[in-house]
Amino acid sequence: MGQETFEGGCLCGAIRYRVQAPATWSNLCFCRDCRRATGTPAVAFARFHRDRFALLAGSPARFRSSASVTRAFCDTCGTSLFVEGAHLGADIVVAVATLDAPENFPVAMNVRTGQRIPWMHPLPGLAEWSGDGDKPRP
Amino acid sequence: MATSHAHEGGCLCGALRYRFEGPPPRANLCHCHSCRLATGAPVVAFVDLAPGQFAWTKGKATYFASSPGVRRGFCNTCGTALTYEAQDMPNEVHVLSATLDDPSLFPPTEEFFAQECIPWVHVRLQAQEGQP
Repeated sequence: MGQETFEGGCLCGAIRYRVQAPATWSNLCFCRDCRRATGTPAVAFARFHRDRFALLAGSPARFRSSASVTRAFCDTCGTSLFVEGAHLGADIVVAVATLDAPENFPVAMNVRTGQRIPWMHPLPGLAEWSGDGDKPRP
Repeated sequence: MATSHAHEGGCLCGALRYRFEGPPPRANLCHCHSCRLATGAPVVAFVDLAPGQFAWTKGKATYFASSPGVRRGFCNTCGTALTYEAQDMPNEVHVLSATLDDPSLFPPTEEFFAQECIPWVHVRLQAQEGQP
């Protein structure tokens, strides 16, 4: 993937954004907080440097789900959009399913599979990090 | 049997809580574009509850009409998506099963809108593995 730009947004369209590929990393997260924040069994993410991200429309609501993690969502339609946090520096992590063309961002890893719902299996053929020990470099 | 009593769940921040009695008639996965966008996730799991099975026990959901006759309930404090209701399925509440306090209880056995699935999402269902 080159330097192409891609747009995304929430269900109601109030919030729109643009990212420039490539992402720094991407993964499918099975952790409890990500599951509960979205109401789903796993969430796909792609991380972008801040200068590769632009908010085009709207103003997301934010919820601090832990000391270091803030989650941004649309308070009109409920779509979960972004994760920000001290451990990410100025970068932003985008919920891949909110991109207009999520097929362009296949995730590279399954992460925090130690917390997965037993019936929600990791995607086959990808590296996996259970959440214990050092994280492998994506 | 674990499915014979009440089940509870709620949003990430705890402002919204719900409960339902007895086992859900169906549990499924949905790949449709609207469900994906409503949550921000590549696939969504539901339990479909019969009339009278479901009740909110805390808080007041915010609703968004995602298409005519459809409303989706979410928490406007933390963003968690919780419910889907459609007029063509009256009195039926579809609960996003990952919001259950024990989301392991009801493995999906059907998939809907597989034709809208993101190509890199390869989900295996318990039923396909010959498990109960």
